[in-house]
Parts: sequence; structure tokens; C-alpha cells
Amino acid sequence: MGWMRSLGKGSKALADKHARNAEIDEELEAYIGESVSEKVRAGMSPDDAVKAARAEIGTAATVREKVWNAGWESTLDRLWGDLTYSARRLSRMPALVFTVVLSIGLGIAANATIFSIVSRFVLKPPPVGDPSSLLTLYRTYNHGQCCNDFPAPLYRDLRAQAQSFSGMAAYNDAVPAEIGMQGDSKREWGQAVTANYFDVTQLQMAAGRGFNPNEEHAQVIVLGYRLWQQRFGGDASVIGKVIDVSGHPYTVVGVTRPGFHGLDQILDTQFWVPVDDLPELVVNAPDPESREMQWLHIATRLKPGVTQKQAAQELDLIADRLAHAYPATDANRGFHIERGDTLSGRDKKTIQMFLLGVSGVALLVLVIACANVANLLLSQGAQRQREMAVRLALGATRAQLVRQLLLESVLLALGGGVVGVLLSLWATYALSSFTFPAPVPTDLSVHVDWRVLLYTFALSVAAGFLCGFVPAWTASRPVVPSALKGEEALARPGRRFNLRNVLVVVQIALSLVLLCGAGLFLRSLESAANIDVGFRSRGVVMMSVDPVLHRYTPERAVQLLQQVRDGVARLPGVISATTTDGVPLSGKHRSDDFVVPGYPAPQGQNVVELFMAGPQYFETLGIPRIAGRDFGDENPTAPKVGIVNEEFVRRYLHGDNPIGHTVTGGGVPYQVVGVVKDTKARTIGEQQRPVLYRAIAQNIASDPSRDGYTIMARYEGDATTLIRAIEDQIHAVDPSLAIFHVQTMEEHMQEALLLPRFVSTLFTIFGVSGLLLAVIGLYSVMSYSVSQRTKEIGIRMALGARATEVQRMIVRGGMRLALISVALGLPLALAAAKLTTSLLYGVKPWDATTFILVPPLLAAVALIACWIPSRRASRVDPMEALRVE
Amino acid sequence: MPDKNTDLIQGTLEMLILKTLALMPMHGYGITQRIEQISDGAFKVNPGSLLPALSRMERAGRIKAEWRATENNRRAKYYALTEKGRKALKSETEAWGRQTAAINRILEA
Repeated sequence: MGWMRSLGKGSKALADKHARNAEIDEELEAYIGESVSEKVRAGMSPDDAVKAARAEIGTAATVREKVWNAGWESTLDRLWGDLTYSARRLSRMPALVFTVVLSIGLGIAANATIFSIVSRFVLKPPPVGDPSSLLTLYRTYNHGQCCNDFPAPLYRDLRAQAQSFSGMAAYNDAVPAEIGMQGDSKREWGQAVTANYFDVTQLQMAAGRGFNPNEEHAQVIVLGYRLWQQRFGGDASVIGKVIDVSGHPYTVVGVTRPGFHGLDQILDTQFWVPVDDLPELVVNAPDPESREMQWLHIATRLKPGVTQKQAAQELDLIADRLAHAYPATDANRGFHIERGDTLSGRDKKTIQMFLLGVSGVALLVLVIACANVANLLLSQGAQRQREMAVRLALGATRAQLVRQLLLESVLLALGGGVVGVLLSLWATYALSSFTFPAPVPTDLSVHVDWRVLLYTFALSVAAGFLCGFVPAWTASRPVVPSALKGEEALARPGRRFNLRNVLVVVQIALSLVLLCGAGLFLRSLESAANIDVGFRSRGVVMMSVDPVLHRYTPERAVQLLQQVRDGVARLPGVISATTTDGVPLSGKHRSDDFVVPGYPAPQGQNVVELFMAGPQYFETLGIPRIAGRDFGDENPTAPKVGIVNEEFVRRYLHGDNPIGHTVTGGGVPYQVVGVVKDTKARTIGEQQRPVLYRAIAQNIASDPSRDGYTIMARYEGDATTLIRAIEDQIHAVDPSLAIFHVQTMEEHMQEALLLPRFVSTLFTIFGVSGLLLAVIGLYSVMSYSVSQRTKEIGIRMALGARATEVQRMIVRGGMRLALISVALGLPLALAAAKLTTSLLYGVKPWDATTFILVPPLLAAVALIACWIPSRRASRVDPMEALRVE
Repeated sequence: MPDKNTDLIQGTLEMLILKTLALMPMHGYGITQRIEQISDGAFKVNPGSLLPALSRMERAGRIKAEWRATENNRRAKYYALTEKGRKALKSETEAWGRQTAAINRILEA
């Protein structure tokens, strides 16, 4: 335990340095005393003995210092001394501190915010037991293409055959249900899971338990923590109670722990039911015996002692066996393993690429900030050359000076880190308020957690060293005689190219890259917002109901929707009303392959988007009719009719008149009765897609929507009043119907624009931050330049130069730096712009407008940054300048 | 008169301190005196070297210290060998023996 003794004694000495020094002194005095006594005993006179003893020992202070230095605590003590000295010095330079802390704060805030996203979606383990052994399986196709889900029989085969896992659970990830008590029903989203799900995840429950092995078919339910709190008041007695789940009685057996919302990163799951209950809860439940329907996700636990590689090898063997046993469905298939609770396999690559790109940009902002700070510190260093020279002359080592200066830099950087964390707290709050268009609830919240704080701290220290080392090294290397005489400015007259200028050029060049990026994305957002989506984007309200969850038969559902639509159409302010299964651009999409007898199948993709439409659909959405008729109250038992868009006609009928033709999709024939204009179906930026609209009355029975049905109303006047009136109308028909997704079309369109809006906001912030930092840098360099040339300027003015001439001279120097920056930055910006192609809407990466406007903007700002110091320069008093000599 | 080299061979000071304390506990000056006596004045140890070495050895647990009165009625810090120090002395003595034996063989070759 030697190190513990050393630690204890050192800590004690550090805590009370005075006592430690007193002890050393006492021991030294005893030593001297004994020496004197011995010499007197040998015959020396007392006075001579004292002199001789002290001569032997040398300087007492030197001995004390040597003893003190023997302990590790002396290093810490020296560091503390430098730290307090640095803090005192910095407190006398508030302007410098403010500028540096703000600069680094901006850079670190950018990085901390992006890292919060990385931490949330990539690094954070799920709130389950032992996340390290929890895996997600995916099914591959075409020899390794990822990622598909699993048919139920395949899951059962894997569970039976694989030996590498201690448990294997399966689940269907998005199950809607009306959950209610005493008539208060609300639509919630949950998952249907195998009975061993909570065992495999090793989830600690907040209340009750998970499912028992014998509850595969039972009507039992586990509630999510949030649902339990919001809908059941966090009441512990709910365990064992029977609640209504889409009209079926279910017994609550448990509540999950806070923060658990399933194994998917993004879905906000709030209840779990046994997977075999799925047929009674949803329409068109997947066939549990089909090897073709892929609807289950698999989560599994590695057996202790088995490696992931070994498990992968076993899965390859099983894949081969299954390919032989079921060649029609399982040939060319394999399995892929991921860490549990990572992003879904098919989303992972895209999101990781995006985060990587954005992280790169955030680091760029930090680099600009560091260049800025290095510049300021270099300027400070130049002003301290005399101080450094004096300290060197008095015996300080260069290492001591560098260490102390670096300490100042790191102190400043940590201050910046604190500012950065505060800014990132605000930024993550803002980010969490974005909502994506999705039919199921999502959890995209981002927070600052300990990983982010650790990353921020490391980044701050690194930034401090990065910013501070070169200035510290430079400042501690003065020419002693010149510095003492204050002649630094004249000592090296030939040097015009120096580190400060290089740093400013780097800053401005990088800022140009960021600003051009911001310009491109703003133009992209503008372009996206102006894209003609083909339907009315204002003056429409909508809301959804799901009669199937209320045990309506298809026939009764048709009647319900007709009643509601008729009632809504008669409300004051309503111009027209209709029903549909999915609003365009909502993330819901259904499609099928189509063929037209007598016409060859189109080249490439032959997938057609499908929408259900009630009467007046096209009038309500403002989609112009080109030929034929609209839907009426179509007879559910008559032959099915469809209305197609122009793209469908071009692609499937080569532009011929489609009226009267029969087209077949998914094995179902539709007679075309009308043609309408093209619209965007899935995303704003998509190429035109062929669309077939089906009469809602004819298709609810044969192809019901799992996401409910939407009532849409075109209106004049106040949307809020109308929304309430429509809700009342729905409840007049059926008081127990849950209403969800209440929204105006404007709100809906805003969500559809989320991605371009998000990206342009992000890059605008980065661009403005970069510009701000670069301008500060340029200004500080010009200010320093003026202060260094005070004597020169004074002499010039004394000899007759006018103020305007002095100003012009200063501005010219600064603008030269700015122009060099633009010349270097523009090629970089053009190269970087190429990388953004996939994120742009309707704007080319080398957009002329952006690249013509941004450089002059930068130059104008640079001009202002140069002009202010130059005005100060022109006010130099000639007599003051001469007196400096 | 040329200066006589009385500096210790580097790294041997702690070993000599251990040996000196193996006989009986001593205070700092006592250690200095003893080393000088036994070496017939060949080695002079000054407190600038001795006291830091004692501090390091105490931290390492090879010696322990207590304040006691000297025979001159003065309070001083007495150092004594610990069991760990005794083991260290043994191993360092053996190492030193091997080194000097090797050097002698080279010199006699």
C-alpha cells in the first residue's frame, strides 16, 4: 500500500503547506543543532561551531525547497499557483475573455449539439438489462442485401434451431388500438410481442410483471410508463384491472420502466400485447403460417461465452439448411446481426452519413473559432514580449512560460465549454420540437447527457491546447535586448507574412464555405416551399378516425363515413368535404403493380400509388379533373372503378384515352372512369408517380386501412371553429369514436417540408457563426496592426499625410487578406457543394445565385471590419507617437 | 590542492541510508555522521540530498519516523527501518554485490 501512504501524506501536505514547511524547518534546525553540539564536543568554540555547521548545510531555503519538491504534491502546488495567477491575469482583460469565451462557446455549442444527436441515436444503450449481449437480427436477400423482417414460421425455425442464443423474442412494431376506461377511448400505438419478450430484454418493470410463457394467447397487456401516468394517473392498483382495448377486455399485468418505449430508437411505443392476439386487434393481420409475409422483428440474447462471430457462423449454417428445406421462399437469404437498439438497419447508413457530414461541419466551426482565439492570443503574446523577456532574464525557463500561457488558454477554453453547453441545451431543446410527418408517434427528443458533457470537456481542453500552443511558444521566444527596449515593431521590419495573417485567411476561407452551404440550403428550402405539389395547400382541415378499432364491420364503416361526410358538408363555412385513407405526403403509402390488357408493361418501375377517395375528393383538394367523372356514392358490390392521374396514362396507356379501360392491380380489376392532374404522393421532391384513386366505399371491405380514415373539409373562415364543429359532428354520429391527427393542410405541409427546413436552419446557424467568428478575427488583426504601427502612422501624419490616406492604407491591407481568403475559399466551397446534391430541392449544387452573392457579402463585412480600425488609425496623435520613442 | 571527489555514486544514497538504519534508529545528522565515519571521510552527505531522500523513503514505506529527544535534549525526527525496508536493503545489497563483482572481473582481466 505504498501508493496509498504517499497519497495520504501528499494530500495532507498539500492541504496544509504551511505546516509541512514548518516540519521541514524544524527537522533542518534539529540537524543544524546536532551538528553544532557535536562540533562543540570536539573542542570548537560555540560561535565557530555555528558558522561551520551552517556552511556545511548551505542555504536553508534551498534545502527546504528540495525536500518539498521530493513529493508529488509539489507539482500540483506549482500548477495551482500558475492557475490562480492565470485567473488573476485574465480577470484584468474582460474584453479578451469575453471574445475568446464566446468564440469557443459557439464552436463547442455546435459540436455539443450534434454530439447530443449522435449520443442519442448511436451511443446510448437501451434501458434494458445487459445491453451488450442484446442483438437485433435482420433477414437479407440477394446474397447479403439488408434488411428485411421475418415471417413467423422462420422465427419459429430460428428459435428451435439456433444454439447461440439464450432467448429469442419477436415482435410486430406498430399496432394501433383504442385504449379506454369507462367510455373514455383514445388511440394509442403499441407492439405485439412474443411472451418471452420481457425476459429476452431483461426489462425491469415499474410495476407488475411481463408476460408469462403460457400467455401467448391470453388477453393481457403491459402498459408503457408514460401511458400509465397520463391515462391511469400512475395508479398502482391498475395492475390486475381489466381495460378496454379496441373493444376487447384486457387485463393489465405490468408497467414498463420510465424511458423504455420499445427497442426501436424512434417509435414511441406505449403498450405491449401477446403477438397471437394480433388478429383480433387489427384488420388484415399477417398470416402466422405464411413464409412469404415478413412482419416480425427479432431481438435475441447471446448465450454467455458465445461470441457474435460464432453466432453469425451458426446462422449461416441455418440459412443453408433452410434454403434446402424451403427453396421457394428461403433461397438466397441470409441473416445479419446488429447490436440491439441501434437504428433500424435500413435507416442506419443514411443517418450515420448525415451525422458524419454534420459533425464535420460543426468541427469546421470549431476550427474557425480556434483560429480566431489563436489570433487573439498571438496579439496578446506580442504585447507581453517585454514581460516574457524580463521573466526569462530573471531565470524562468521557457517551459515554465509555455506552461503558464497554455494554462491560460485552457482556462479560457473551459469557460467557452461552459458557454457551449448552455447554448447546446437551448439548441437541443429547439431540435426536440421538430415533428416529422409519420402516422405513428415518434420520439426524436435529444438531450444533453453525461456523454455530451464529457465530449464537451475533452473538446474544450483540446481546443485550449490547439489555440494556445503556438501563441505560447511564440510569445516565450522574444529577442531579449529588443524586447526590453520596446523595439519589437522595428526588430524584424522585413516580415509581412506572419501567422496571424495566415489564421485570418483560414478563418475567412472556411467561413465562405459555410456561408455558401447556408446559401444553397436556403435556396433549396425556398425552392421546396414553392414546389407545385398539385393539390390545395391551404383552406383545408382534416382529422382521422378508425372505425375498425371500434369493431365496425366494413359495411357499417362505409355508412359511418358517409354520414360524417354528409354532416360535415352541411356545416357553415364548409365548401366541400370528402373522405380518404391517406393524405398525400403523410408517410402513409400503399402501392401495387399494375397491368393494362393490350398494353406492354412500362419499363423499369411499374408500381402505382393507391389512394382511396370519397365523393368530392378532387374538389376538396383542388386537383383538376381532365377527363371523365368524379366518384359518386359508388355501389360497394358493383365492379370497382378507379380514377387515374396523367402520369398513369403516360406510362401505362401511352397517352391514349383511358376512359372505359380496365386496369388490374394486385389481382383486382378497376374500370377507369376519370383522369386527374398529377400530384406529389410521398415526398415533395419526388418525380411524378402514377396514381390510381379507388372509391372508398368499394374498398374498405376488401383492403381496409390500418391507419384509419381521414375526413377532409375545404372551408372559408375560421379553422378553429370549424375543427370543433367537425368533431361535434363526428361525435353526433358515434360519441365513442376517438379522433386523431387533427390538422390543417398548412400545418401538414410544414411537416412535409421538415427536412429542407431543418437542414437550411442548421447550416444558416453554422454559416452565421462562422462569419461572426471570421469578422472578429479580421477586426482583431487589423486592430493589432494599427496598434503596432502607431509610431509609423504618427510620423507619416507629422510629415503631412492626410487622415484619408492613412485609412486607405489600413483598409487596403485588410482587404488584401479578405480577397486572398475568397480566392482560396471559393474552390473549397464549390467542392463541398457537390457533396450536398442529394439534400437539395430544385437547386443545383453550383447554384450561380449563391456563389455570386456570398463572396461580395463576405467582402462587404470584411470591409466594415477593416474600416473601424482604420478610423482609429487616422486619429493617431503625432506627438503621442513620437513620445513612444 | 585539487578537490577531493566525495560525491556518492548515483543511486547508492538510499542503500547506504538503509544500511545505516539497520543498526539502530537515527536522526538525520546522526545518519550523516555515521556514513562519514565508516567511510573514513570518503563520503560527505549534505542535508540538501539527505532530507529529500529520507522523505521519499518514508513515503515509499521503507522507513518510518517519530519525533524524539536526542542525547543533547533537542527534539529531532528519528528514522527506523521497516520490514519492507529490510527486504529492500537485502535485495539492493545483493544487486550491488553482483555489480561490483562484475566490475572487478573486468578490471582484473
